[in-house]
Amino acid sequence: MTTAKIDNNEVLVDCQSVWKIFGKNAPAAMNAVVQQGLTKTQILQNYGCVVGVSDVSLQVRRGEIFCIMGLSGSGKSTLIRLLNKLITPSSGKVLVKGKDLSSLTSAQLREVRAHHIGMVFQSVALLPNRTVLENTAFGLEVQGVGKAERFKVAEQALAKVGLSDWSSHYPSALSGGMQQRVGLARAITADPEVILMDEPFSALDPLIRRQLQDEFRQLTKELGKSAVFITHDLDEAIRIGDRIAIMKDGVIIQVGTAEEIVLNPADDHVAEFVAGISRLHLVKAQSVMTPVEPYKVANPGCDITRLAKTSLDADINELIELTMKSDRDALAVVDNGTVVGVITLRDLLRGVQGIPNEFAASSAASVLEEST
Amino acid sequence: MSIPDFSNQFDSVVDSSLEWLSDHGEFLFNGLNVLLTGTYKSVLWCIAYPPYYVIAIAIALIGWRVVGVRFAILSGLALLFCNVIGLWPETVSTLALVLTATVLALVVAIPLGVLAGLAPSVDRVVDPVLDLIQTLPPYIYLLPAIALLGYGPATALLATFIVAVPPAIRLTSLGIRMTPREFIELGDASGVTGWQMFFKIRLPFAKPSIMAGVNQSLMMAFGMVVIAGIVGSGGLGESIYGAVRTLDIAKSINAAIAIVILTMILDRLAQHAARSRMGESQ
Repeated sequence: MTTAKIDNNEVLVDCQSVWKIFGKNAPAAMNAVVQQGLTKTQILQNYGCVVGVSDVSLQVRRGEIFCIMGLSGSGKSTLIRLLNKLITPSSGKVLVKGKDLSSLTSAQLREVRAHHIGMVFQSVALLPNRTVLENTAFGLEVQGVGKAERFKVAEQALAKVGLSDWSSHYPSALSGGMQQRVGLARAITADPEVILMDEPFSALDPLIRRQLQDEFRQLTKELGKSAVFITHDLDEAIRIGDRIAIMKDGVIIQVGTAEEIVLNPADDHVAEFVAGISRLHLVKAQSVMTPVEPYKVANPGCDITRLAKTSLDADINELIELTMKSDRDALAVVDNGTVVGVITLRDLLRGVQGIPNEFAASSAASVLEEST
Repeated sequence: MSIPDFSNQFDSVVDSSLEWLSDHGEFLFNGLNVLLTGTYKSVLWCIAYPPYYVIAIAIALIGWRVVGVRFAILSGLALLFCNVIGLWPETVSTLALVLTATVLALVVAIPLGVLAGLAPSVDRVVDPVLDLIQTLPPYIYLLPAIALLGYGPATALLATFIVAVPPAIRLTSLGIRMTPREFIELGDASGVTGWQMFFKIRLPFAKPSIMAGVNQSLMMAFGMVVIAGIVGSGGLGESIYGAVRTLDIAKSINAAIAIVILTMILDRLAQHAARSRMGESQ
């Protein structure tokens, strides 16, 4: 998968120690938190207020898919609604493209929502009285774009999600997966830089879900969009996210790449999540490969240039598939046109267990050192 | 003060205030009378002027477009039957009364229902008033209405209007409040203005409920036909009231059949019109 080169350091959404407390006494409870540092339970007992999001800071960069993973009640749905001010924070700041949402007038806020930050819902929320095309064009219609123009853009978006043939149908004629594609097309049509995805695939059956996950990731990368993706499924977060934030009780416990989180969970809670996760897609060739020289020593008769080729960031699953297809027991890892290592059967088995090769200066190991 | 004293005093206050109202509000009530009677008369003229078969064919044609062939034939024949039993003028004047009252009721009720649906404070005021109207027996306000507006179609129209208003307000405000939460969020997240939220999101969801309200208003108006007859509406209601007073059973049954025919035709038309509006969503 090739992606357009983008400035990965530009922060599009900046969340600065944001709090959300629900309840009648929320302002008083917020004060108590700031001045006395009460805990969540104390707030509930003393003020009858529920802490939804507690001191969350995060940055979403351009072109990045940022997953927020947590169980129900962890505050993830509240958090994502703070990012476009569907919910107003009790304290803290949310900046979208450098603009503090709380400082905007309602017209300016509408402008930000219409052009910069789109949203896709778990329930899809397709208007039942409109065709697929009209639903897709909704964002542009709201902005006052003419009919011909907005339908043209909407058609293009529908083509991207593979639903061109369905534009004149009503949503009720579509399956759940197709409806969610329309939801995505609708978000794309308005061409925002950031798309907020609120558990979009949770209600779909597993096969369709995987398909949509892959399509979503591919499409987002192709278009160079950023996304904040909410899920309660760590597998999904790993499949889709460039970075993952684990959330519990309104607090973000850990932020990192899938590899970082799996190899070095921040606490028991995260470790428990990670325990069942297959390493097949997480461990990369560069972490387990045998360097060329030791391999040549062990297998003098082998011409490594004739082995099937793979890349440094191919995961164990791909490597196993390649090996099965190949007539040899080894693969050549190629970087910039030169062979930099070899994947043997032993390397593959080690990879399945998630143990780096002792020869390789594995990136996984260095990540471990960095983060400890 | 003993209880009979109090009740006597209360009665005399009510009487004198009604008197005061009819003395000082004469101009106002005369105006209202002229307005209501005029509206009713012009609607009546429109459907009473053409010969009976033109109206029957026109309604059959509408029925064919909205409901279907079978309904069109049956309703056409049923209307011709109203003429056969010699009640065509009465049927037409009842139709005019019911239609005028319902349309006037909807003109007031739908905007009010929308307001009540959007603003809880409006709802808190409107709701008890509607409770009052709906529990109050119509006879209670017929007397003062006769005192103020006189015996005739204006009073009948007002009485019918009053019972037709509540269901339309209630169902409209319910429909407006029923917009699913996720669609409100969709609107907000897409950056809609207040007007766009209303017309593009709330109203389409409220439509089925509003149409049910229209139908209910129509049915309530038909339910008032006989009572309206007592205060001089003319038409089938007055025929029945007259037949009841003279114990003319045959005549009362004839008029009742004509009312049933009218009610069923309008009910089906309204229901199907509502359904074809929603049909887009199915």
